[in-house]
Amino acid sequence: MNKVVQMLLVLTSIGIISGGLLAVVSGWADPLIAANQKAATEAAIFRVKPEGKKYEQIKNAGFELYKVMNENDQNSGYALVYQGNGFSGKIRLIAGLSEDLNNISAIEVLDQVETPGLGTKIVEEPFTSQFLKLETSPKIDWVKGEKPDKPNEIQTITGATISSKAVVAILNDGISRLKKLRESGGLK
Amino acid sequence: MELFIIFISAAIVNNFVLAYFLGICPFVGVSNKLSSATSMGMATTFVMVITAIVSWLLYNLVLIPYNLAFLQIPSFILVIASLVQFVEMVIKKVSQPLYRALGIFLPLITTNCAILGLALFGSMREYSFLENVIFGLGAGAGFTLALVIMAGIREELDLADVPKPFQGAPITLIVAGILALAFMGFAGMI
Amino acid sequence: MKKQVTLSKEFLKGVWDNNPVLKQLLGLCPTLAVTVSAINGLAMGLAATFVLVMASLLISTIRKIIPPQVRIASFIVIIATFVTIVDLVMKAKFPDLSKALGPFIPLIVVNCVILGRQEAFASKNNPGRAFLDAIGMGAGFTIALLVLGGIREIIGSRTFFGLQIMPDQFEPWLIMILPAGAFLTLGLLLGAVNVYADRKKRLEHESLVAHYKRVGREELIEELEVK
Repeated sequence: MNKVVQMLLVLTSIGIISGGLLAVVSGWADPLIAANQKAATEAAIFRVKPEGKKYEQIKNAGFELYKVMNENDQNSGYALVYQGNGFSGKIRLIAGLSEDLNNISAIEVLDQVETPGLGTKIVEEPFTSQFLKLETSPKIDWVKGEKPDKPNEIQTITGATISSKAVVAILNDGISRLKKLRESGGLK
Repeated sequence: MELFIIFISAAIVNNFVLAYFLGICPFVGVSNKLSSATSMGMATTFVMVITAIVSWLLYNLVLIPYNLAFLQIPSFILVIASLVQFVEMVIKKVSQPLYRALGIFLPLITTNCAILGLALFGSMREYSFLENVIFGLGAGAGFTLALVIMAGIREELDLADVPKPFQGAPITLIVAGILALAFMGFAGMI
Repeated sequence: MKKQVTLSKEFLKGVWDNNPVLKQLLGLCPTLAVTVSAINGLAMGLAATFVLVMASLLISTIRKIIPPQVRIASFIVIIATFVTIVDLVMKAKFPDLSKALGPFIPLIVVNCVILGRQEAFASKNNPGRAFLDAIGMGAGFTIALLVLGGIREIIGSRTFFGLQIMPDQFEPWLIMILPAGAFLTLGLLLGAVNVYADRKKRLEHESLVAHYKRVGREELIEELEVK
């Protein structure tokens, strides 16, 4: 009997102490973690919309979307966060768009698990810089092994065609949803 | 379709053992005989599916609503440990043959990082309940597949003339490396 | 009564003779998963060392009041608590590193090195010895991860701690930073460790034989008995 009491007592007190300790630590850490995430999102928004000075999230879009304002407080476009399937897992990216949604200002890949050294080139130059000033209508297209000659085309990476095509598909998906949202008046 | 992708991804493309290195200890330890590898794989799959169910319920119905996400790691590991104990007791009561087949592997599963990894990945990726169960099933199938293939190779390897310093764990790891390379061929299926 | 080993041996055994990764083959999951670069290996090693040291200190201090029936459960809760603390601190202070190591920080809970040391050592020894043992094992673990991460980073991406050290002409071996490279490198490393250990044993044996030839049988037996 005594033994059972001791067992319960020890386990319960270890549980209570560790729970209490964790509550204190997470009380300290949670605001910092939230601030880190916010700072990371903010930095990414301003990297894809360099002229932006302020932003606000469009809450009822159904996906992650930010309206970006320039220094005169005028709407200067949108930053769209969207994800889809890549070569070996999800690719999540952010794209800066002009106010009329017809031009991409820049893109940045936020999360990916592509093949190191091949698919991971979608994160780097020169692949990402192909999207600067890229036209989005009727949709973004890709060419393989040659220089793109239309204003809405990019060249896929050698050895990482599927990853490159995935980025294009994710962008097309996200932008078409955004365009539908605008038609239904959801961007006001 | 989404469910099918999750299953294939967990079982083959992002195989728990060969791509995420989860469950390496039993992979090196139990993979020398085909029969024990099959039993271990089945026991692990069984526990994985139950873990997927219980950890999802725990995370989404208790930890999140009560703002206790910081208790995730201790609560998951405790739930897994008691779950394995419970499963062992039930199997022992219900089916003696099954207990003889799986019994000795069950205690080993508690310290298998693939199980805790499954629970953590599931909550990190914000799967729905059904998706999480399929994910558990796929991960278990992938674990079994890797273990069985490895055991088959190692049975042959016993007859091969391996240099003495490389016998045992080193050659097992090198074979696993080649196997991981082969599994990379499945990438791009999803 | 067990013979007491010296304190320095208590520390050093984990670094080489009983190195958790290279000799005991424990904690292989994080060893293989995070060592794509030296910095990741170092960070993982330090995080695991912190958990190991704190848990060993605490458990050896309260070892007498934990009933043996619930010791494993108590160890796991204590380890999980320290792991959560490390996880939260890393997320708050080093978000990039925490993202790179992903779910492998929480998985320190099931790292067999840590639970193994509690069961085999901390629950039977005083805090001083447990501390030295934990520091030694942690150091051995960290060194193994750092070596593996270093090799894979130098050959796989030409850099070491992010600084390029291989010439541009050297085409990086992609396989080294892929999962397959982790298995191959660790397999070869373990083989090399075995070759070294075998050679050392053979040399010791040879020197003993030479000594025997010099001093004769009786004297050698006497010498060994003194030892």
